[in-house]
Amino acid sequence: MTDAFPIEAVFRALSDPTRRAVYERLARGDEITVVDLTEGSGVTQGAVSQHLKTLKLAGLVTERPEGRKVYYRVQPDGLAPLFDWMDHYAVFWRDRLGDLRALLKDLDPPKDPVQ
Amino acid sequence: MTDTALMPETRNIVVDETVPHAPDVIWRALTDGDLIGRWLMAPRGFAPVVGTEFTYQTTPGGAWDGVIHCKVLEVVAERRLAYAWKGGHPDNVTGYGAPLDTIVAFTLTPGDGGTRVQLVHSGFVLPRNAGAHENMGKGWRQIVPRLGEIAGEA
Repeated sequence: MTDAFPIEAVFRALSDPTRRAVYERLARGDEITVVDLTEGSGVTQGAVSQHLKTLKLAGLVTERPEGRKVYYRVQPDGLAPLFDWMDHYAVFWRDRLGDLRALLKDLDPPKDPVQ
Repeated sequence: MTDTALMPETRNIVVDETVPHAPDVIWRALTDGDLIGRWLMAPRGFAPVVGTEFTYQTTPGGAWDGVIHCKVLEVVAERRLAYAWKGGHPDNVTGYGAPLDTIVAFTLTPGDGGTRVQLVHSGFVLPRNAGAHENMGKGWRQIVPRLGEIAGEA
């Protein structure tokens, strides 16, 4: 699964509440194993692994194998695409310029409308 | 998170797109008070003359009354318009309503089949960590309904 726009992968990864909870747990701590993440989470270890895989593909999480264990932690700049997008004024200007395009269409309608 | 995420930084917002209209039509939309009100916000006291001070009224936030104080900095007919955009209140430390001392600049470049419109809103000082994380809650409500649009843009 590849995304032309990293933000889409970030959205997809964080749109699931359980996966978001896994990410938030990782964001609070340093490194943690799947076993520790599963403990008290209310979901199976397999499900947690699957969520970690999705988070990893979205660039939100990195892993570090050590012996038989794999430690997971948050990828430092993983949320950057989201921050950029969600910045108040970035959203504001995208909306406003959408309205500007609509106004320009009113002021200057296409001369040869497609039938 | 990491230390780098906590470092303040200055950032610009850039929107760059080509619209199928001539520069004079776009210029009207950018500089006629009534027309500005139809796509941005209704300005008070705007004139496309360098030095003109005007305001926009937006949603108040915390100690901020929601008034954006602007001053025309640059006018090149049908090519470029820039104005200062200041708002916020020092009592608001981060997030919406925090002090803002920025510049909004529109640059129009005629080309084949339309005009390139570049908007640069510059001078944001963002304590990224605090700001971004605080905004997570309301940010999601804004963003999630836009998923379809993003997909459409792709």
